[in-house]
Formats: sequence, C-alpha cells, structure tokens
Amino acid sequence: MDRFTGVLAGLLGRSAVLLPAARREWAEAVLAEMGEVPAGSARVAWLCGGLWLVAREVATVRRVIRVLAFATGAVGLVWIGWPGASSNSATPLNRVYVTGTVVALAVLPWVVRGHFGPVRSGWAPRAARVGGYAMVLALIAAKAVKDRYGSKLGAYFVIVPEFWVLEMVLLLVIVGYVAGLFILTSERIRLTRWGLPVGIGFGAVTAGMLYALAPFGVGVDPDGPSLKWWGVAALALPVATGLLVGQLAARNTRPTVLTPEQGALQGCLAASCATATAALLVAVLTSVTIALFPHRVPLEGTPAAGGGPGAGYIAGGGCETCDPVNTVIPPGLRHEYWVEISVGQAGMAPLAFLSFAPFVGAGLGAFAGGFASRSRGTRGRAGGGPHGPSPPAPSQPLGRLRASDADREQVIGVLKAAFAQGRLTKGELDARVGHAFTSQTCADLAALTADIAPG
Amino acid sequence: VARRSGSSAQTLSVLASLEADPTAWRHGYLLATETGLRSGTLYPVLIRLAERGLVEACWEDGQPAGRPRRHLYRLSSDGLAAARAALAEQVRLKHRHAATAGRVGGRRVAARGA
Repeated sequence: MDRFTGVLAGLLGRSAVLLPAARREWAEAVLAEMGEVPAGSARVAWLCGGLWLVAREVATVRRVIRVLAFATGAVGLVWIGWPGASSNSATPLNRVYVTGTVVALAVLPWVVRGHFGPVRSGWAPRAARVGGYAMVLALIAAKAVKDRYGSKLGAYFVIVPEFWVLEMVLLLVIVGYVAGLFILTSERIRLTRWGLPVGIGFGAVTAGMLYALAPFGVGVDPDGPSLKWWGVAALALPVATGLLVGQLAARNTRPTVLTPEQGALQGCLAASCATATAALLVAVLTSVTIALFPHRVPLEGTPAAGGGPGAGYIAGGGCETCDPVNTVIPPGLRHEYWVEISVGQAGMAPLAFLSFAPFVGAGLGAFAGGFASRSRGTRGRAGGGPHGPSPPAPSQPLGRLRASDADREQVIGVLKAAFAQGRLTKGELDARVGHAFTSQTCADLAALTADIAPG
Repeated sequence: VARRSGSSAQTLSVLASLEADPTAWRHGYLLATETGLRSGTLYPVLIRLAERGLVEACWEDGQPAGRPRRHLYRLSSDGLAAARAALAEQVRLKHRHAATAGRVGGRRVAARGA
C-alpha cells in the first residue's frame, strides 16, 4: 500500500506540470496535505482526487487538447498512409490523399468559423465534431492501406488520368463532408436541439445494419443481394429522421407554430446529417475491415472454365480504367492480380455512395419535415385551413391555438419557479395552477405567466 | 431561465465550513473532514472560489519540521458577505421547499427555440 501511495504521489507531482502555472499550486497543495490524511485507503483516495483534479483542469484547457488531439491524428494518418513502395501505383495517390486531408482538416475550421460562427453550444455539436474528425482520419488511413494492398503489382495497375479525376472528386467529396460537419454544428445554423443527436443516431444505426449485411462492401454487381437494402435505407432513413425532427422542432417552438418552411428546413438539415453519417460510417467500417483483413475479401468474378484463377476476369475485359492497354498478365501473377484487383475494387460502392447520400437525405428530409410540421400545424389550428405562404412564426396568433397538457405543464413549471423566487405567494400559485389545468387555449395560458419576467 | 443564482450543495458546505470561523486559516484536509467532501470535489470548488475572489489562498510561512508547508484558505471580505448571503438563501429555500414539498425547479421551464 505504501508503495502504491508513493507511486500515486509521484504521478501527481509529475502531472502537475501539465497545468498552467497559476493552477499548479493547487495540485501541490493536495500533495502537501497528503501527510495529514491517515495512511491507507483514505490517503489513496485523497491522491486519486488530486489526479482527478489535474485531469479536470487539464481538460478545461480545451484549445491545447484540441490541437494535441488533431496533431496526434494527423501524425497517425501520415504514419499509416504515407509509406509505400515506388513501384506501387497507389503510393502517389495515397500521398495526395493524406496531404489533402490533413490540410483540409486543419484549415476548414477557420474558414467555416468565419462564415457560420463558432461551434454551437451543447454536447452534441462538440461530440459530432470530434467523432467526424475521427471518422475522416480513419477512412483516409484505411483507404490508403487498402489501395496499397490492391496495387502492389503497380505496373499492371497504372492509374490513368480519368482515374485520377475520379479519385480527386472523391477527395473533394470527403472535404465537403468535413465542411458540412462544421457547418451543421455551427452557431448560425439553427438546428433544433435534438436534431443532431437524432440524425447521427439514426444514421449510425442504419450504418451498422448495412455494414452487417456486407462487411466488405456491396459488390460492383448491381444485382447484389444487399443493394436493395441500401435503397430501402436511403428512403427510410431520411424520411424517418425528417418526420421525427419536424415533430421535435414543432414541439420546441411552442407555443408558436412551426411553419412548413421551417419544418422542411429542420427535416432537411437533420436528414442530410443522418444520411451523411450513415454513408460515412459504412464507408469507414467497410474500408477498415478490408484494410485489416484483405486476404478475406471475396474474389470478384469467376474464373473461366479451365482458364485458371483470374483468367476469366482478365479475359472478360478486366478493369477498363486501370488497365487501358489490356496488358497481358503473366500466368504466374494472375492469381495475385485477381486478389489485388478484388481488394482494390472492394468497398468502392460505399465510397461512391458518399457523393450523393447527403443530397438524398436533404431532399427527402425536407419533404418529411415539411409534412410533419404541416400535419401538426393544421391539427393545432381551430380553422384548419390550408397554409399557403405563412407569416413568420413569432407573429402567428396564439389565441386560437388549443392548449395541450405539455403546454399546461410548462406553464405550471414557470409558475412554480416564480414561486420559488418569491415572485408569487402560495395562494397566488395555487390559484394560477388551478387556472392552468382548466385553460383551453394558449392565450389563456399565456395570460397566467404574462406578469412574470422570464428567468 | 429559472436557475437560482446560488451555489451547489458542495460549494455551500465549503462556504459554511469557512464561515464558521472566518479569520482562521484552514488547510485542505481539515476542510475535507469538516465538509465530508473528497479531494477531487473539494479542490475544484476552492479553485473556483479563489478565482472569483471569494477565498484567499496562501502557503504557510516558514518551513515546519517533519512535514511539507501547507496551502491555507480563508474567506475574503467579499467571500464572507457572499457566504452569509448564500447560507441565508439556503435556509430560506429550505423553508420554502418544506412548505410546498413540490419539485420546484426540477423541470426545464425555458421554451427553447428551434
């Protein structure tokens, strides 16, 4: 026990240097008090509290942590993605990807901040940014490993200009994801409170299911068994997200009414976030799986009868983009070629899906969100007529809206808080709560709290 | 938003402990035993109070024999006033709570915009 205490004390003394000078004395204070604490578990608990203190204080220096975390990620990406034999045709491509990604991840925060403001408050936007960075770093690293494995016979996988263009488009799409991540989590984007968690959560669940269906990615064969599930997901995910977030936004804006336009915007943002999350996560999971288990990737195509492994694939046209001159593969390399081309092609479908998933989500989500707020809006109105171009929400007349139990509870909460602050007497509170329970319209409810200052 | 300006229960117990004898300098372990707080809770509270100027902190003068110098704390004059106000507020709220026995402040009452 004494030795353990000694180790903890040493650890605390050393970790105190991590703190800014003004805070260091507090860690030293904990250490100085150690002698007062009875030896044994109490002293261990005391020191653990000191370490917790240091950890907390270090974590409040967010900027340092952010920069360090990003630097670690960037170094990790370079370490994984940069190396490669000069004979490997994927090496230059990987280096362009690594450079482009690191530059984009470093520069985009500043660019987006200038236009959309700093990160929105709350845990969800911050968590989304951290998670998004981790996803993009993992994707580029895994893609580099996969492409490196799939291009070892570099002479037979010449990267033609068209392929370069395709790859650069994909890199731009990934940069676009990073930009989208920052924009969606910025202050000036008024996404309703649960929009981001719902979008990301639904997207992650969908990604998990799609990944389980095809861990090595959907084959290039359009009749593949799981491709139809991708279609179902592309339809169901944004619609479900848009409907739910439209409803949530309508609830959060009470007692004013959410216009269909605002509902559509909320649904659009949340659903594009959901489909983008799903697409990115599937691409990451698939690429990482292929990078970790390249020898277990199912081989593409079937060898022609009697032609030996790989012969059929090559005879059947091979890969047009990467084998333009239809080089004859020496028989000894055919199996290797077959394996490599299978690994290189595997997981391309999820990557291609990246480029249009957010747009599918945005369109369908806008539709669903608009529908959700429209159905709520008409139900809430006494007349119920068609909306047409609605005036902005704050100017909606509240009076005719029927009050719900949730509205009543909210008003009662305000009244109780006002009582706690000494703004209302007990008798006044009881009377007003009684009125709240019998109020029929939002106007009646609003009258009960009209003379209470918010907060 | 109806958030009471008051302090957490932990902060209040630290303030109460310091306020019991406002002129005396106390060290951290003494405060920990008096309040029943763990070091990982007590020190963040002390740091916040010190940064708000409510608590004065200093190192013990001279080098005592057989033990390291202690880091000592007491309320500043602002701190004393703030501690008395907070403790009075706590007492008042307790009476209120006893009277209503309601869950006041348990609900979020702010209407959040989209």
